[in-house]
Amino acid sequence: MSDQPLEALPAEAISTVEAIARPRSVARSRANTADLFKRLRDNLGVIGIYAFLGVMVIFALFPIYYVFQASFNTTQALISTQLQLVPQAPGWANYQFILQQEPFLTWMKNSFIAVGMATAIALVCATTGAYALSRFRFPGRRFGLVMLMVLQTFPGLLAIYAYEQILTTIGLEGQLTGLAIVYAAGNIVIGVWNIKGYFDTIPVELEEAALVDGGNSFLAFFRIVLPLAAPAIAASAILMFVGGWNEFALAKLLLNPDNNNVTIPVGLQQLQGENSTPWGYFAASAVLVSLPLMAIFLYMQRFFKAGLTIGGVKG
Amino acid sequence: MLYARRATVAAFLLPTFIIIALINLYPIFYTANLSFTNKNAFHLDNYHYIGTQNYQDVIQQTGGAFIHVLLITTLYVVACVGIYVSLGLITAMALNHPRVKGKGIWSILLILPWAVPTFITALIWKFLYDYNFGPINQFIRVITHNPNAGIGWLDQPVAAFIAVVVVNIWMSYPFFMTISLGALQSIPPELLEAARVDGATGWQRFRFVMLPLLRPALLPATILSTITTFQMFNTVYLITQGGPFTTGNINDPGATEFLIVYMYNRVQNTGNIFINYGHVATVAVLVFAVLLVLMLASLRFTNLTKEVKR
Repeated sequence: MSDQPLEALPAEAISTVEAIARPRSVARSRANTADLFKRLRDNLGVIGIYAFLGVMVIFALFPIYYVFQASFNTTQALISTQLQLVPQAPGWANYQFILQQEPFLTWMKNSFIAVGMATAIALVCATTGAYALSRFRFPGRRFGLVMLMVLQTFPGLLAIYAYEQILTTIGLEGQLTGLAIVYAAGNIVIGVWNIKGYFDTIPVELEEAALVDGGNSFLAFFRIVLPLAAPAIAASAILMFVGGWNEFALAKLLLNPDNNNVTIPVGLQQLQGENSTPWGYFAASAVLVSLPLMAIFLYMQRFFKAGLTIGGVKG
Repeated sequence: MLYARRATVAAFLLPTFIIIALINLYPIFYTANLSFTNKNAFHLDNYHYIGTQNYQDVIQQTGGAFIHVLLITTLYVVACVGIYVSLGLITAMALNHPRVKGKGIWSILLILPWAVPTFITALIWKFLYDYNFGPINQFIRVITHNPNAGIGWLDQPVAAFIAVVVVNIWMSYPFFMTISLGALQSIPPELLEAARVDGATGWQRFRFVMLPLLRPALLPATILSTITTFQMFNTVYLITQGGPFTTGNINDPGATEFLIVYMYNRVQNTGNIFINYGHVATVAVLVFAVLLVLMLASLRFTNLTKEVKR
């Protein structure tokens, strides 16, 4: 039967088959419609979730996209009251202006110097301090740890007169080095807690073995503990660097603005005119300053999470 | 725990101790000391102790400005923290839904605001809020067909307040999304399944199964964020400078002049011949007291200090 071609069947049989099949196909299409509704109902939750995520992505990305496209727009087009979401005559004019006419690169260099020095000083202090707090028991240890936690809440801005006095005394007033020392103090407070938390997870037996073999504490610290704690130290370094890179208030108050001796946040704020704001230049600077940091951030993210959750202070 | 000679321990502690003592502790005592003196532009070198006079002045005589600043700061913190913690949690729950595809892409896109430097965030949003050239008002003009429409985002007190809250939500929710997502992924699915089998509704599963399990991760993060929001400076000052200042009296705080911005605006007027260092120091001590109380409360409510006892 199955071998027989369809034409071989009597016409009557075919019409009978059709007659039987027709209601079935109607029934199937009804079932399909019902099925569709059921699937729609089942998926309504998921569709809602996608809609929500879509709105959130627009909220998250629109500001970034808008500034990115504006950086390629002309100043003329940006002082228009019409909404425009793509530049009409895209060009590099804003970038050229920022890099050539404004001391943008000097500000970047200053930021790197001040923040880099602060991070380096803070890492030296925080690793040694955290090691002592993690490995040795001495009077005042608990008090010191709680004290560091309390100091974390102290905003540097509140002590600005004292900073001015100290930096004048040691001859660093208005200088990047002076600012770096002030930043370093804030970084040590965060760094000690993070790095100590990680040191605590490293088995002390490794160092004991080294000490038995005739090494001393310094050797154990440099050769064993520091290499093992690299993830936490890197995560702390990034936190410190980003924190300093973002800092505006202390830099504005402590640095001497002559000769463009300021960091990038202060420089960009100075760029702002009395009445008009050069949005095109701002947009180009925003892209130049953010892209490297965003790249580092996205690359380091996993790393970052591990270094932070293992460390003492979560947040 | 290792045993070492005292000299060794001291050598390890010395660098931290010197910097902390010089740059953290000394300034606190210096400022506290200053707050009990009458140092001002007229008594730059020949100032003397005046007891708690500054504290009485700051709390009572300056028209209650400090109390006002404290209240609007609290309102700002409650609004920001409440919204960004919820939004972060909701976004994480959406991402964690078993039938949502492309989780990696969604979370990278949603996390981007966190990666933008805060002073750039301020710049971006100041541009968006611009009355004439900002896209938000331009969009309002498109949908209302009125070429003169627009909201004075940074000129009206309530709008400016909302504006800086939105900016903080934008930059802060990714952190809570990340924390919540990590915590959600560590909840065993069997627990939720068991609750479902026992007839718990969606809300009950959230309230009585998920939330208690999220608490250990979310609570410390929320408290620390509350403290950093109290100290928020860049994304407020660089957008509004603490304004709009609508009363015309220089002693009245602006609509977004929160604690640290208020402090900064007082300190920044160093050129002002009427500057009263004693008053500024007093405000600093009071701000520190507020933050200290928050910190101590957070130590009580979380297990942040468990490390200390090890």
